[in-house]
Amino acid sequence: MKKRFLLTTILSLFFLLVLSACSGEDTTSTEDKEAKDAEKTEENKDNEETSEPVEIEFWHAMSGPHEEALQSFVETFNSENESITVKAVNQGGYDDLEQKIMASAKAKTLPTMSQAVTGVIPEYINNDFVEPLNTYMEDEEIGLSEDERNDFMEIFRESSKWDDTYYSVPFSKSTRVMFYNKTILEENGFDVPETWQDVREISEAVTKDNVIGMGFENSFEAEFQAILKQLGGTYIDEEAKEAQFASEKGIEAMTFINDMIQEGIARTAGEDQYMSNPFGRGDVAMYIGSSAGIPHIAGAAEEGLEWGVTTNPTWEGEGATTFAGNDIVMFNQSEDAEKEAAWKFMKYLTSPEVTAEWAMKSGYLPVRSSALELEEYKTFLEENPAYAAASQQVDTGFFTARVTGGDAVRNIVLEELDKIVLGEKTVEDGLTSAQERSNEELKK
Amino acid sequence: MDLNPTKKSTLKGYLYLLPALLILITFNIYPIIKSFVMSLYTDFDFFTGEVFAYGFGNFVEIFQDPNFRIAIVNTVIFVIGVVPLSIVLSLIISLFLNSKIKFRGAFRTIYFLPYVTSVVAISIVWSWIFHYDYGLLNYFLSWFGIDPIAWLRDPQYAMPALIIVSVWKGLGFNIMIMLAGLQTIDEQYYLAAKVDGASAWHRFKSVTLPLLSPTLFFVSIISIINGFKVFDEIFALFDGRPGPGNSALTVVYYIYQKFYEEWQFGLASAAAFVLFIIIFLFTIIQLVLGKKFVHYN
Repeated sequence: MKKRFLLTTILSLFFLLVLSACSGEDTTSTEDKEAKDAEKTEENKDNEETSEPVEIEFWHAMSGPHEEALQSFVETFNSENESITVKAVNQGGYDDLEQKIMASAKAKTLPTMSQAVTGVIPEYINNDFVEPLNTYMEDEEIGLSEDERNDFMEIFRESSKWDDTYYSVPFSKSTRVMFYNKTILEENGFDVPETWQDVREISEAVTKDNVIGMGFENSFEAEFQAILKQLGGTYIDEEAKEAQFASEKGIEAMTFINDMIQEGIARTAGEDQYMSNPFGRGDVAMYIGSSAGIPHIAGAAEEGLEWGVTTNPTWEGEGATTFAGNDIVMFNQSEDAEKEAAWKFMKYLTSPEVTAEWAMKSGYLPVRSSALELEEYKTFLEENPAYAAASQQVDTGFFTARVTGGDAVRNIVLEELDKIVLGEKTVEDGLTSAQERSNEELKK
Repeated sequence: MDLNPTKKSTLKGYLYLLPALLILITFNIYPIIKSFVMSLYTDFDFFTGEVFAYGFGNFVEIFQDPNFRIAIVNTVIFVIGVVPLSIVLSLIISLFLNSKIKFRGAFRTIYFLPYVTSVVAISIVWSWIFHYDYGLLNYFLSWFGIDPIAWLRDPQYAMPALIIVSVWKGLGFNIMIMLAGLQTIDEQYYLAAKVDGASAWHRFKSVTLPLLSPTLFFVSIISIINGFKVFDEIFALFDGRPGPGNSALTVVYYIYQKFYEEWQFGLASAAAFVLFIIIFLFTIIQLVLGKKFVHYN
């Protein structure tokens, strides 16, 4: 029986196996979505009969305490707006979310709104399935006043805007901050580092036995970009769609990082995945990572580990810090009433009180300047000084150019930086090759 | 029994085939054809399905992409590293499990466990075993005076680490199939061989191996196909990166990067089609070789 099975079905077997990896996932999630959608439209029909009420779906990638906080906002919003029911649906991690958006865009079953990684929004715009928000924003009745619009922190306003069109509202935003081990610094008689030169000096002094001075995340292209910007260089010119990081400044910035790693006074997270793990064990004295990682350190820190958070180091007084994170977008495959409801929910989520509460519960940044002035938030920062550093550097914040092909460029840069750090390429060769390959992608 | 197909028996047969066939066509045959057609799209809108230009540009591009070559080389190294090792090990273990030993059932379960455990869970455990400073493996090696190895950080060791995990993970399935194969071998052959004075080695070489050859053949085809498709282990073991310095970039990983991360649907389809052809050729070669060496009683 087995033999016959083998002989007669061997062809279909590897037909089956070859593509299961790539297309299988695609088809199943689409199918899933279709089922859900069928359900949804039926519900909608019921709703229409009883007039007005709209139900919209909101996809996100928040889990654990983040999801709980988000869910509480959804519930409050739903009870305040009788005609609107927002249904927040977790789609897994950001990768899963992106893949599901891609699949449902193809199947024309996109939700009304979703959380989205800023870097991928250009692809959404290019493929024309994301809704511009200007008309909603400027609407007399449901829009935002001029003051309210200006109350959004400039860096987030800019990162949600392509040319003069807003395609997203900022939501789960984070920045890079510097974590330091108080005990190690004190024992060696150092103050909290302020400049990259301090970082180097401290690292040289404290690296011994099992302790390494400085830690970089595996995705340390953010730090490379920060130093490059501090030196006055450009990473990618968004308007010209051109990578320019293999400049003299770029080489200087990368050499600085690479030298520290080669000398053994700095390390990358490597197999520890995130620096919060080795930092929590006391294996490094300092590291730069996402401000969203603060709760993770609290979890990873062994008992008795004294740690603090400060702003990103500057280069001879020149500050620049990468801001990253995710936005909320509205898709254009929904009915007008649903879109309007989605906009109202976006507006609610980014209102000063809600964004402040979100920041306090999640560790992300508040997106409105006035949120920083709220008594509640001020008290929170006093009680949790670790969170203060992030919002202190909004003025020197910048974000990676958002261009079509940005993810391909990121893959190239990570790969070439990896090769530099592994000693397979010199800084100059690695950056030049990364720049050339990136520009080829960006020209597509 | 009437052996000639009649209209009625044919129709009946097709009816039995229909459910599985429908599923296969919808979820496998159609995507294969579709992805082949998509690999010929050079200018298109993925989401509306409009195609403006066809051509072989995607194939030209992937063959010029050094990363695609790296992916093919890595995949071949992986298959060569995993398949023979896995088959030999599982053959030895299944011979042992087939012999008369105590707690045989318990051992069988233990060896089968890795196969039913989620790849992600396995990879997380292994990434601790491989850990440079705190890993179990480096600790064992230190007993023999071997310096710690940066299994997951050193491009030279990333592939061996991946091979170790994959061999270990694949053992359970192979052992199960081989055990089933071993149990179909009639005890009488062994008795007859013993009467003729054959040694244990001779009995293994002249009775077990030939009679087990259809099973070995099946296992090797499945292992090679699975080997070419490796992806999950890499994704989990190296935290969503294709190993240090692309040292564990395989063809499926390349397809994943192009499709999901870089939105290059045409390139991903072309790469998937190339992988399909490679596996197809390998399987044909195996079938031809199999005819020569496999004994179906």
